[in-house]
Amino acid sequence: MDFDLPAEDDPRRSGVRAWLKEHPNPTADELLDVGYEVPHWPPPWGLSADPEFQLIISQELQRAGVERFGNLLSATNLGPALLAHGTEEAKEKYLRRMLTGKDRWCQLQSEPSAGSDLAALRSTAVRDGDHYVINGQKIWSNAGSSDYGMMVVRTDPNASKHAGLSLIIVDMKSPGITARPIDIMSQAPKDLVVRMYETFFDNVRVPTSNLIGKEGEGWRLTQQVLQAERMMILQHMQKPTARDLVMGLVQTGRIDDPSLTDEAASLYIEGEVIRLMNLRAMSDQLNARRPGPEAAIIKMMGAPHDQHLNDFAKRLEGQAGLLPGGDAFEGKHTHLAVSWDAAFWDSPTLTLRAGSQELMLNVIAERIIGLPRERDPSAQGNWSENQRALRAEK
Amino acid sequence: MDFALNDDHRMLLDTARAFLEKEIDLTKVLQNTKSTVADTGYRENWKKVTDLGWPGLIIPEDFGGSGLTALDLVMVAQEIGRVIAPIPFLGTLAGTWTLLKAGSPTQKAAYLPKIAGKGATMALAVCDANGNDEGPRSDTKAAKAGSSYRLNGSKSFVVDAATADTLVVAAEHEGRRGLFLVDPKADGVRIEILPWRDVTREVCHVTFSNAQAELLSEDDSTIWPWVRDRLLLLLAADSAGGLDKVLQMSVEHAKERVAFGKPIGAFQSIKHGLANTFARSEATKVAVMYAGWALAEDNEKGPISAAMAKSYATDGYRAATAQNIQVFGAIAITWQMKNHLYFKRARSNGELFGSSSSHRRRVLALAGRELSGNADSARLH
Repeated sequence: MDFDLPAEDDPRRSGVRAWLKEHPNPTADELLDVGYEVPHWPPPWGLSADPEFQLIISQELQRAGVERFGNLLSATNLGPALLAHGTEEAKEKYLRRMLTGKDRWCQLQSEPSAGSDLAALRSTAVRDGDHYVINGQKIWSNAGSSDYGMMVVRTDPNASKHAGLSLIIVDMKSPGITARPIDIMSQAPKDLVVRMYETFFDNVRVPTSNLIGKEGEGWRLTQQVLQAERMMILQHMQKPTARDLVMGLVQTGRIDDPSLTDEAASLYIEGEVIRLMNLRAMSDQLNARRPGPEAAIIKMMGAPHDQHLNDFAKRLEGQAGLLPGGDAFEGKHTHLAVSWDAAFWDSPTLTLRAGSQELMLNVIAERIIGLPRERDPSAQGNWSENQRALRAEK
Repeated sequence: MDFALNDDHRMLLDTARAFLEKEIDLTKVLQNTKSTVADTGYRENWKKVTDLGWPGLIIPEDFGGSGLTALDLVMVAQEIGRVIAPIPFLGTLAGTWTLLKAGSPTQKAAYLPKIAGKGATMALAVCDANGNDEGPRSDTKAAKAGSSYRLNGSKSFVVDAATADTLVVAAEHEGRRGLFLVDPKADGVRIEILPWRDVTREVCHVTFSNAQAELLSEDDSTIWPWVRDRLLLLLAADSAGGLDKVLQMSVEHAKERVAFGKPIGAFQSIKHGLANTFARSEATKVAVMYAGWALAEDNEKGPISAAMAKSYATDGYRAATAQNIQVFGAIAITWQMKNHLYFKRARSNGELFGSSSSHRRRVLALAGRELSGNADSARLH
């Protein structure tokens, strides 16, 4: 057993540093071609880099002040889905532009009446020659600023709930699409990673060749994408951590305040433990072991941890914390992409997005520790008939 | 980087588990509400584990031990915690660590081979009546008398003192706290086994009236923190094993017990609680392994990781034992069920060698120092 992280003198750093010295301001294509945009991808896109090397590359890019061009969503979920299940033409057409940030992508999954129970979605795609005609409504995506969307739709309403779904690429400039921004509680969209939209589809025509995988494979592929998103969310490191909290307490001289000590220390310890869980997941991947239950556990532990952390930091501000623009440790954490204030007002979403807390707990209880599964009475039989029966019951 | 157990660790763990599951029997304790630690087979169990070489696990091979590390020890300690094995393991290890760190070559040669080879037992007396283990304190004083010393005073919450063949005692001498070796059978030593609720541990009060003592170290200020970190790891590992076990008991019960027409584990109030405990258990194991690794490697993270592991593991263990009783229902509060033994062991682990909040205070101070000294590494790692 060995818990060491890649050292400062790790030989793998020198190549990255040398390249960055020669390319202090790399273009998107240069960064992609050298493999640093998506190092975890196989060649020619990436370097099939193991997690340690990925970490090294991220650290060196951060140190050199170089930001990646594609967004995280593309690099970790949408891109890999396309890479694994897309047609050759689709890969040729979309991947480079996606990864260099020339095209922006969104994920069209949730609907107003299908959130945690995503498979209950109602958007339909009906075949018409070599096109699908899409009708319905999606929500919680950055549709308004995207060129393409990866959408899960019901292609077979007479199949069962999960078997009737398909995954398809939608050109967001297609006629019939309306994206409306949603005003969210944090009132600070510029601080958020993405702005949220609700999107309406009115007889939108999409070529059948835009299908990813086969018709009816939508649920399985969406699950894979969601799995990746859970990993992505936990790897997202731009937000304040418990280490930042402790640093802030030191810098503001409040580290010795006895009324704060115990809670701050509990948060610090929990943050460190979650970090170790993350490293263990990384170690499993690194040593080609079947991943353990960490991903679900980390998401399940991490979300309430971050909420507690942000709540604690907000309380440090007292009444002033209710005024916009304030910060628990103002000006002290310049490396953070998201301020403590913005992180706090955004924090209620942490236990909702990419699998609600209740869903994560169900996953752990049912799939990992083997407690009885919740039965979904709507999962069996013909989806349309079930819906009709439900409506009649009402 | 590799967080997984290697084959040696696996073997150590599997051997320990198989042995303990076969040999540790707490039935006798559960049959009698008047049970004390005397009914738990404390000495008989120790004889059995001596045959396995456990007393000498961390003793270097030069002194007849196995020369294993703190991380190796975690494998065995977790399994002991899983079955709450009543054995004088903690006391003997505490004494052994102190000897290893503070003993002269002659003292090591005199004591360590007996521990490793014959299962000689030890106990470490550092706590005062308030459970405070930091020195110097005047509860016990040492005075020089010819070539040896005489001790006067008392020590509290001494784990395994009554079974010990040798005591290591912290006593004030010339304004510092020194460490002394005392024969528990010597004149002037009185050992009283406390009616400690956790009967799986032997916890004692020891009084010294002019008791003869041999000097181990004049100043324990660098020795005690080193030993304490290892004791924290030991209690954390014991708790990680116990936590895993009570969770397993709760899950099995929740699958079998039927109420309102289905297994109670089908109700979200129960299943979500157990899912949370499962996460806590997994996270605890990682925290304990990390502390074991850091101490084994003499990594600078050793002290902070041991304090984190102790507070995180014992708090989680306490919560899991309370949940375990709730899931089992009223039957679990009866003496003949094992649940209360875990409940009490968890409290015992939590309070011995400093409460969770006292260790958290230390963690925060250490973290603050580390982070302000190295802001760059805080960001990148």
